[in-house]
Amino acid sequence: MILRKIFTSVILSVLVALMAGCTSQGQDQEKSQPSEQTTPLEKSWEEISSTAKGKTVSLYMWGGSDSINRYIDEWVAPRLKEQSGVTLKRVPVNDTKDVINQLLTEKKAGKTNGSVDIIWLNGENFKIAKENQLLFGSIAPKLPNVQDYVAMGAPDLQYDFGIDTEGMEVPWGKAQYVFIYDSKHVAEPPKTIDELKDWIKQNPGKFTYPAPPDFTGSAFLRHVLFETSGGYEDFLKPFDQQIMDEKSQAAWAYLNEIKPDLWRKGETYPESLAKLDLLYSQGEVWMTMGYDAARASNEIKKGTFPESTRTFVLDKGTLANAHYLSISFNSAQPDAAMVAINYLLSPEAQIAKFDPRHWGEDMVLEPSKLSTEEQQQINSIDRGVATLPAEALAKHKIPEIHADYVDYLEKEWKTNVAKD
Amino acid sequence: MKLSIIKFLVVLGILFFLAPLVLTSLSAGWRWPMLWPAEISWRSWEYLFSGQSQTGIAVFNSLLIACGVTIVNLGLAIPAAYGLIRFPLKGKLIVQIILFAPLVIPPFVSLMGIHFTFIRLGLTESLPGLILAHLTPTLPYMIWALLSSYRTVGPEWEEQARMLGANGLQRMIHVVIPFLLPGILAGSSLSILVSLSQYLITFLIGGGQVITLPILLFPFISGGDPALGAAYALLFIGMAFLALFILDCLLKWSYRRVN
Repeated sequence: MILRKIFTSVILSVLVALMAGCTSQGQDQEKSQPSEQTTPLEKSWEEISSTAKGKTVSLYMWGGSDSINRYIDEWVAPRLKEQSGVTLKRVPVNDTKDVINQLLTEKKAGKTNGSVDIIWLNGENFKIAKENQLLFGSIAPKLPNVQDYVAMGAPDLQYDFGIDTEGMEVPWGKAQYVFIYDSKHVAEPPKTIDELKDWIKQNPGKFTYPAPPDFTGSAFLRHVLFETSGGYEDFLKPFDQQIMDEKSQAAWAYLNEIKPDLWRKGETYPESLAKLDLLYSQGEVWMTMGYDAARASNEIKKGTFPESTRTFVLDKGTLANAHYLSISFNSAQPDAAMVAINYLLSPEAQIAKFDPRHWGEDMVLEPSKLSTEEQQQINSIDRGVATLPAEALAKHKIPEIHADYVDYLEKEWKTNVAKD
Repeated sequence: MKLSIIKFLVVLGILFFLAPLVLTSLSAGWRWPMLWPAEISWRSWEYLFSGQSQTGIAVFNSLLIACGVTIVNLGLAIPAAYGLIRFPLKGKLIVQIILFAPLVIPPFVSLMGIHFTFIRLGLTESLPGLILAHLTPTLPYMIWALLSSYRTVGPEWEEQARMLGANGLQRMIHVVIPFLLPGILAGSSLSILVSLSQYLITFLIGGGQVITLPILLFPFISGGDPALGAAYALLFIGMAFLALFILDCLLKWSYRRVN
């Protein structure tokens, strides 16, 4: 009985304490909200940099690559600290959606001094973040390095999977679709989707693509759609089912035409890019593809792809997308976060990122806006025999289209192509 | 003789399942149809032990949270299970259903509400908050384990001690607890293991500011770096074994002291 009494009184006191905590916390927040209104978006860059000194910011980013992690921890963080006094703390994330969910709840609960300062995101996550006002604001015009080196108006940077960034996120790196081929078997790589068809007919069984909705296979469909319907421009407009039904007819005709000459006569498709790569590395097919321009070189280095592997892009361009950095709506240190993002976009940080010893990823800076020494430095970086020069890639870029089209293509492919 | 053969087989079995993990953690480009990795590389272990990888603090936080969770669980579950067994209670079934609900209902359902409430209470991004949040998936195991242990203590034992003049606390420590030890061991083991393996709760309630081992491990596993995933998985297994071993020693020692 004594036990029971003690137990009840403990529970009651805990409950009372919790409730007291709840109300006082709520009042604190209401009080502190108006004073937070001084926004760095109205300050000058000098003011922002001086406020930022000595602050610590957290960068929430996907943590699944040791070389990317090392680039941030060992290359960026010490230099940023030395140059601007800002400490950069990397927080490993499994899926950026989790961070978006965290911010959604924080928004609902009215949390003002959030710990998520900088987020690495694009596509769907940016869409949700923008729609729910989880982002700090239009930061791009404030950052000197963005103004000096980034072509913000370019369609592949301005639109993140069809959604206007409005400067709320700043591009950090780029990915571009390339076709990978074995130069031992393919003397002259095709330059258009039509030439690809001719090549497939001359070399039956030596080409296939991953079955959509695989990310890479789905992108192959978009390339076919663009070239058979007369360009990507029409698909930057809002989705229209009727127009799409008409425009996609040529694409389905094309895909059905090449089908009998695909690997295994098109009766089956590799289920993922990894499977297609495996077929390629074993010589069963002579082409593969993917969103990483430097991947072919890396695979040669690892010994998985044959030495004679090379890459090509289409004359009319291949899909390119960018990934971005943004600041959360409730960042406790927006000034320091802006300084950190600005540094990540500096020529030295971007050139180091471009170097395959650190990361090997495409820069977002315009090569022509850099100094001659910096350009020489870029040219001297060996990106591997199979990687196309940066200018060649930059000249053949087309933007991603809205997610509605992507869904439509993936669904219709099943009825129009996969079924007999 | 027979026992040592069984022990040997068990160890062999464990090693059999660990061997691919060890090989994967050391491999560079190990792909089908190669039987063995083409090249041995220490890349993953070098990264794991590098100062920047936060491995040390992650292990420390994971163990600290698991210990805290287990202690709070014991404090809650011992009286709860006692009450469920000893006292006639109207609607006992409903109480049991509520206590065991987290086993059946996916944690995500309650997580959003907990996260929201904890933000209001200022409990996010702190160790106490994480310990409280980890109670949801772990407490039912503890209560379950203790319930079955309580069934082995007849009320007669307590009555006898009472007649000999032992007060409530003395009866608890000297009579009831020794009977409960197997249940405490089982419940604590489960509570430690379940707490160690939480990812989403830790990420959301910890806000990414409290780094535990799963926070580091998950991106590598789902991100397609099998070598680092394997290295971290081995570390995780080692950490879990260590925690259980210490728990076992601790309980045996306290059992001897009580008697």
